[in-house]
Parts: sequence; C-alpha cells; structure tokens
Amino acid sequence: MSRVFIVGKSELPQQVSVGRDEVLDWVFIVLPGVSADIPLTVDIDGPGAEVRLSGLYLCGGDERVSFDIEVRHNAGDSHSHQFFNGIAGGTSRAAFHGRILVQEGAQRIKAFQENHNILLSEEARVETTPQLEIYADDVECSHGATTGFLSAEEQFYMRSRGIPESEARVLQMISFLSPVLARIGDAGERDRLSAEVEAAVRGL
Amino acid sequence: MDEIIKDITAQEYKEGFVTEVEQEFVPKGLNEDIIRLISAKKEEPDWLLDFRLDAFRKWQGMKQPSWGHLTLPPIDYQDIIYYAAPKKDADRPKEIDPALAETFEKLGIPVREREALAGVVAVDAVFDSVSVTTTFRKTLAEKGIIFCSFSEAVREHPDLVRKYLASVVPAGDNYFAALNSAVFSDGSFCYIPKGVKCPMDLSSYFRINAAGTGQFERTLIVADEGSSLSYMEGCTAPMRDENQLHAAVVEIIVEKDADVRYSTVQNWYPGDAEGRGGILNLVTKRGICRGEGAHLSWTQVETGSAVTWKYPSTILKGDRSTSEFYSVAVTNNRQQADTGTKMIHLGKGTRSRIVSKGISAGYSQNSYRGLVQMNPGAEGARNYSQCDSLLIGSRCGAHTFPVIRSMNPTAVVEHEATTSKISEDQLFYCNQRGLGPEEAVGLIVNGYAREVLSRLPMEFAVEAQKLLQVSLEGSIG
Repeated sequence: MSRVFIVGKSELPQQVSVGRDEVLDWVFIVLPGVSADIPLTVDIDGPGAEVRLSGLYLCGGDERVSFDIEVRHNAGDSHSHQFFNGIAGGTSRAAFHGRILVQEGAQRIKAFQENHNILLSEEARVETTPQLEIYADDVECSHGATTGFLSAEEQFYMRSRGIPESEARVLQMISFLSPVLARIGDAGERDRLSAEVEAAVRGL
Repeated sequence: MDEIIKDITAQEYKEGFVTEVEQEFVPKGLNEDIIRLISAKKEEPDWLLDFRLDAFRKWQGMKQPSWGHLTLPPIDYQDIIYYAAPKKDADRPKEIDPALAETFEKLGIPVREREALAGVVAVDAVFDSVSVTTTFRKTLAEKGIIFCSFSEAVREHPDLVRKYLASVVPAGDNYFAALNSAVFSDGSFCYIPKGVKCPMDLSSYFRINAAGTGQFERTLIVADEGSSLSYMEGCTAPMRDENQLHAAVVEIIVEKDADVRYSTVQNWYPGDAEGRGGILNLVTKRGICRGEGAHLSWTQVETGSAVTWKYPSTILKGDRSTSEFYSVAVTNNRQQADTGTKMIHLGKGTRSRIVSKGISAGYSQNSYRGLVQMNPGAEGARNYSQCDSLLIGSRCGAHTFPVIRSMNPTAVVEHEATTSKISEDQLFYCNQRGLGPEEAVGLIVNGYAREVLSRLPMEFAVEAQKLLQVSLEGSIG
C-alpha cells in the first residue's frame, strides 16, 4: 500500500487498518496556498505489519496546516515510522500533533517519530506535540522534534563559493525536504513531485 | 550477599510512623468561616485575609483539572481538616517540643543546630500546618539573609511578602493553586539580598502527621541582584489507608545575575502495593528569571506519592537568562505520576535545558508532560530537551506528552525522547559478574539516572540513590 497524497487535491483517508505482514507507505504533501486539517488514525492490528508515514508542508502565506496523526499498535511485533518536515513563512500556522500508542500486551514494538520545522518569518507560528503513550515494556520507541531556522553559516559557505544568497536558501530548503521526497517509491512520480516542490520553494 | 538482599528487600517505607503529639485542629470542611478562622489563628493582617478570600471565591468558580494522564480518586474538599498544629508547650515557648525534635531527628533532619561532617544546612521544619523551627537564623541574618517560616515573614517583613506573594503564581492560576492560596497554612520564606552568596544550603522539610488533614504550604524565595542560593526540599508522611492531599505552591523570583538552585527529593507515602492510601501530591512550582543573566535550576527526584501532578516551570523574562530542569521520577506498584516542566522564553538569548528520566515498574503509570514556548521576543533563544523512559515489567505505562511552540524564527528548539526497557544483555552482563537481579537493576537504574543525581547537593544525592533502590524493590521477577 504505497501512495502519495497531495493535500487539497487527493481525497484523504481518516482511518486505516493494517493487518498481518502488511506494509503501509504513505507520503503527504502540502504545497503553498493550501490550508488543511489532516486527521489520520492508523490501527496496526496484525503482527509483522510495517507502517511508514511521511509528509512535508510548505507554507508561505496565511495557510493553516495541522496534522493530527495517531498510530496505534494494537498488535505486537509491528513497526511504525513517521517522518514529517515543514517550512512556515508569511503569517502561516503549521502544527504537527502525532501520537504513538502501544497497547497493553503489544510487545516487541519499534516505533519512531520525527518532526522538524523551519520558521522563515517573524509572524509564522509552529506547534509540535509528538506524544508517546506506551503500555507494554518490550518496546523501542523514540521521537524527536525540532524547530529552527535556515543556518547562516551554511549560507555563508555557499556564498563564499559564488552561490547567491537567494539560491543558497532554496538549496537549504530543498535539502531539508528531500528526505521526505525520497520516500516516494515510484521514480517517475518522485521526479515530478520533486520538481513541483522545488518550484514551490522558489516561489516562497 | 544474601543478607544484603534480604536487608534491602525487607525495607519498606521507613518514614511511615506517626508522632504522638497533642494537636489542635480547625473543624473539618472548607468555607469562608474556616478561612477567616485560619487567618485569625495566624493573626494575619487584613490584606492577607482578603487575598485568601479572593482566592477562595476564584476556586469556587473553577473545576478540578482532568487533563492529566491520571486516575484521581474523588477528593471531598469538605472532608479535609485544613489546619492542624502541634500544641505549644507553654512552659518552654522558645524550645521545640522534644517529641517533634525526635521525629525530625528520626527522619534525619537536623533541627538542632550542629556542625555536620557533610556540611552545614539551615532547615525550616514544617509539621502539618506550622513551621516548628528554623535553624541558623542568626548566622544567616548577619549576612542580611531572611530565612524563616511564612507566618513570621508575614509579621516581620510584610512589605516583602506583599510585594512578591502571588507575583509568579497568581491566586487564580489553577485549581490547586487557588485552593492553596485560600487555605495555605505555613511554609518557608527566603530573601537573599543584593550580591550575597548564601553561605550554606537552605532547606525546607515538610512532614504530614495528623490523619484526615491536608498540607497546604507555601514557599516564597526571592534572590535579589547578583545573589546565589541552593535550596533543598524534602518531605515524608505516615502510612495510612486513606489518601491525603498535599497542594503546595512554590514561587521563586530570581533577579538580575542571581543564581538559584532548587532541589527536591519527594518521598511522600506512596500507598501500599495494592494502591491503598498515599499522598495526592498536586503542587504548583514556578519561578521567574526577572533580570538579565538570571539563572534558575530545578532538580527533582520523585519517588513517593500515590499521585504526582507537578510541573516546576520557569519564565525566562530577562535577556540571556537560563534555566534547567533535571528530573528523575520513579513509580512502582499503583503509583501515578504526571510530571514535567514548562519553559516560557520571553527574553533575548534565553536558554533552557530539560533532562527528564522516568522509571516505571509494577502497575504504575509515569508521564512526562512539558511545554517549551518561544515567544516573539525570544530572539536567538534555545532549548534542548531529552526525556527518557525506562519500563520495568509489562504491566506499567510510560508516556511522553511534550508541546513545542515557536513564534520566533531565530529560536531553536530540540526535543528528543526514548522509551525502552532494561535490555537482557545488560542484565546478563551483570549476572555473569555475580550481581543478583535486584542489584543489577539497581546499578543500571542508578546509571540511567546519574545525569540528574549528579546535579543534587551531596547529602541529597546519597539519599536519592538509596531511595531509588527502595522504591524499585520487589519490581523484578
């Protein structure tokens, strides 16, 4: 079950169940100009299941984007991995609410969650709440969340090598988002969407 | 070796005894008359009574919060005695009651001034609703330091108290803070004047003794410009089958370039293995770094209480002020803890660091809950948080609920959290070298908590290590 959702164009599922040995690999893309609430609950009901959720959001105006993702490990021996990166500029508000729930008795779980954010402007706001709720002990769970800005040192490095500042910023943003794009399985689709994201970054 | 294990496992909550002293109580229940009575008993000025009544009215309009990851037993606020004090012996008004002195000696709290090998600590000992003694006051007074019970501070330094009381935790801040503001009985007050480095650690020790009561103490610490202070807080209570409520408020004001270190070893009675009894520890602790370059650090070791609901927080208002939060929270049997911190960055270049280590065993639930907020003015501010959880046994829960809010494009926030159990490999390695399972777990847990324990003042660190061991006994196998 490998899919890419362009938020605002694709129809978004709100709940999905993943059974024994199934693999779910979903990528969400939010381009500038799109405001959306994206609630999603993933129930992992069978052992051997593997869930990968990734997403990127790019906000340059007055967008309101909010992910609300809950991954429930109802069965043991399952893995989940979440990876969401976002850039907020203008007067946008971006939020990532993610929860990993490991039910009692669901042992041998590996669950990871990452969310990174870059703020571009004074008026942009970012909120992130990565949560772990764990009722079993044989687990390896972790999450990481950061908010920050485009590093001036990196920009200086590139500028001293003849890359103009505006181009340096574009490169920084693309490299920040590309790990998410790399998760798109189909090469043709990946190239097409990467080009679209690059155009959007240049337009910020 | 067997002897040692037996020794350790036979240990129970050794602070769980009751002291037989004559006590006076106010009638059970909570209403404006009770508050007036408490205020009258303490011979308080009118402004303080008004403050209490105002808080009480606010409290009446509030609801008990339910957002914690906790199952709180219902609390009947009319079934609590809000003031209990040991009767004063009329013959020796200057001296501490020998029974009380003995109680505190038994708990290892030096209420009589003496030189200890490990260093000198000044203690304010609070027994139920009153402070029974404060040591080393003269020595401290020579430096201009005020360290006394809250009631004395109200009498002797009303201007200071009035200026700072509720300036960090307003009366209507939250349900339990409002309750405390209405009925608070005693607590400690501390003022360090400009440029003074406090020559010894100051300490408050809280003891609940009477049945059917709650403890509602209030601590107010003011560190003026360029001063420094290390403050420690400890607490215990007898073993009882009913829950007892402890709703405290701690306020800390740190002025420009001042440095305050606040350490807590919380060892309230946690209830028995089936979850009967224990203290409901619902406290509000907050400090403000008011001036430039101020520093406030919180270190806590939480091993006791049936329920802990506690978020020592810092408001970083002064530019380049810094704050830290180091915490070890251990829950065993049916204990529940929902604890963490809030770091609110207002000033430029402010920095904060959060290190939280949760350990859950038995059937307990242990949550970290925290907020890191970068306000629009927090230019170049930074936060780093690390929250680790360790699970011992398959019936317990470990949870992490952080909130990160950034409103400034030059601020950096980093948060990471992990949850795991003690690995079989680690245990095997220890067993192989002749350490029994309990000892091995003790060793691993101490190593896991080291980063926090090493921040504690020396005497506290030793006690905390022992406590970790005792709290986890019986959780293996």
